[in-house]
Formats: sequence, C-alpha cells, structure tokens
Amino acid sequence: MATDRVLLVDDEKEFVEVLAERMRSRGLDVTCATSGREAISAVEEETFDAVLLDLAMPDLDGLETLRRLHEIQPELQVMILSGRATVKTAVEAIRRGATDIFEKPTDVETLVERIRSARATRIAHEDDVAEEHIEEILRKRGW
Amino acid sequence: MGNDHRRPLQREGVLFFGDVIAGLSHELSNVFNIINEIAGLQQDIVGGAQPESAGVANRLTELAGRIKAQVERGETFNQFLHSLAHSVDDANIAFDLGDTLELAGSLAARPARLARVELVVHRPESPVTLVGDPFALLLTIFGSIEVVLDAADSERRVEVNAAPHGDWARLFITSADPLPPGVVDEVAALEIGRLSWGAAHTLDPPPPEPPRRIILDVPAVAPALKATADDKGQEDPDGN
Repeated sequence: MATDRVLLVDDEKEFVEVLAERMRSRGLDVTCATSGREAISAVEEETFDAVLLDLAMPDLDGLETLRRLHEIQPELQVMILSGRATVKTAVEAIRRGATDIFEKPTDVETLVERIRSARATRIAHEDDVAEEHIEEILRKRGW
Repeated sequence: MGNDHRRPLQREGVLFFGDVIAGLSHELSNVFNIINEIAGLQQDIVGGAQPESAGVANRLTELAGRIKAQVERGETFNQFLHSLAHSVDDANIAFDLGDTLELAGSLAARPARLARVELVVHRPESPVTLVGDPFALLLTIFGSIEVVLDAADSERRVEVNAAPHGDWARLFITSADPLPPGVVDEVAALEIGRLSWGAAHTLDPPPPEPPRRIILDVPAVAPALKATADDKGQEDPDGN
C-alpha cells in the first residue's frame, strides 16, 4: 500500500519538525517547508496527496502561496493550518479553494485521518480524469 | 497650542499598544503550539514503550497531558489578549455587542476571582450589532463591572446581561448585594461611555431603595458617527 505524501508548510521550524515526526510515526511520508517559496519549489518537483499550509508567514503569506500552488497543480488538496488569530483569513482561503481548516493546536489523529481521505479523493479524481480520457479516445475512434 | 497634541498622541499610543500586543500574542501562540506538539510527541514515544517500563510511561503520559492542559489554558488567556489588542484597531466599526461583553467578562474574571465573587456574563440571545468605538465601550463595560465587583461581598454573584432595547442596547450589571451610595459618582469608565457613545446609566431600583444594579443604555450607533452621517445627508439630500 502506497504511503500518503504530505507537504507541511509553516515558518516555525521547530513546530514543523515536531509535527512532522508525529505524522511520520503514523506512517505518513512528510516533506517540510518553512516558507511559501520552499513549498512552491517542492510542489513543482514532487507530487503530494495533501499540503498542510500555515497562513501567517513572512515573505509569501498563506493565501498567496495557496494561489501559486493551485496555479502549478489546480487539483492539489491544500488544507489550512490556522491560529485563532487567522480564522477569518482561513475562511477566505476556503473560498479560494482550500479544502479544510485545522485550528492550532491540532489533534494529530484528525490531521492524519483527513490527509488519508485527501489521498482517496485525489486518486478518485485521477480515476475520473482517466475515465474521461478513455471515453474521449473511444468516442474519437468510433469504437 | 495647549494640549491639542495629546488627542492624536493618545490615539496613536493606543494603536501602537494594540499592534504590539497583537504581535506578541501571535508569538505566544506559536510557543504554545510548539510546546503542545512536543508534549504530544512525548505521549507518542511513551505510548510505544516496553511493558516493563509501564509505570514510568504512565507517569510521563500523565505529565504530558498536564502540559497540554496548561497550554490550552495559556492559549485561552492569549486569545483574550489578542481580542483586547484588536479592539483598538478601528474607532468606527460595526461589531457584535456579545463579543465585547464576553471580552469584558474575560478581562474582569481575575479581579472577580481575587474578590472571590462569581462573575457570570451572558451574551444576548441573538447578535446585537453596534456601530462605534468597541474599545471605548469595552472600557465602559469593564469599568461598570469593576464598580459592582468592588461593592459585592465575597462568595456572591455578579451577573451581566444585555438585550436590544428599541434602537439601543440595554445592559444590566447586577449584584446580589446593595450598591453603596454614590457608587457610580465620578466613575471614569461611565464618563467615557457618555462621551464616546452617548451612553446613559441609571441605578436600579431608584432611591430610596438601595440599588442592586447598573443599567447602561447604549445607542446602536454612536452619536458622533450618527451626526456625521446626518450632516452628510443634509449637505447632499439627493445622495449625489
């Protein structure tokens, strides 16, 4: 069974490292990024089942990072990791295509569960796309 | 020139204070989140410990749980700090009275605890939108609660309620004990309420009965803002 791949993005290095360790111990393959730019580079190079994205980051904030991630991969499942201070922005992020909001402090079990269902959603979407593609081929060839 | 510079200085000072506190509150949240995850990691590690070290493991798990409980408590206080900091952001804004009441109650929880008085703040049953300066109203409500707390005997209860009252909101700050004569005289917070909101206070029941509560009437729109809107209307009745 393939491992769920997640990109964890937060400018607090120690937070990212500890949460990543906890998620890895639950069988997830976790890549860490401590800025929006690092996250964008990672998504350009690799495929992830989900991205966990902090909103309040210096340089490139979460909303802008979300926009750029979706430019690269429109179907990417981006989940927001939000402090209470940024709940309003998190709601805006949902309007802009994020799939879920987690308020810090998070329950790691819930996080892992949602990431696993994100993977299932991604695979289902890929199946739909593949099915549409096959139907298109069949239709064009008149089979 | 006199003291003309004081008003912008005070406003800027309050904004500076709010901005800095909001930033510090955010940093505190980051610290709490890290401690919380470290405690969680400790629980994870201990959860996988060998059976022969079960006694130590159980103890460490319990301690991690206590760390997390304190983090949660700290984050609750931090959230009050954050709300307080942002209450000065805009002196002309629509906001929910319930949020301001809740914040005033949270900030007054410590003086209430020190006075051994049970403070119970009830949000209005439905949202009550006010337009004006939330910080000035917060000061008014907090000051009114403080006055009643000071007058209350220990082991007693002080309750705060609010409800819409025509175009106004009516707040009740009620003590189980009678309020002493002259209790609201020269209370700065009530003067702030009057100047910034046109808020009016009365004591209930009226004399000669000893009062047991302050009734605070606050208009839905602060008069200065309403006057500005009315002036604009007079200048440009067609709205062009």
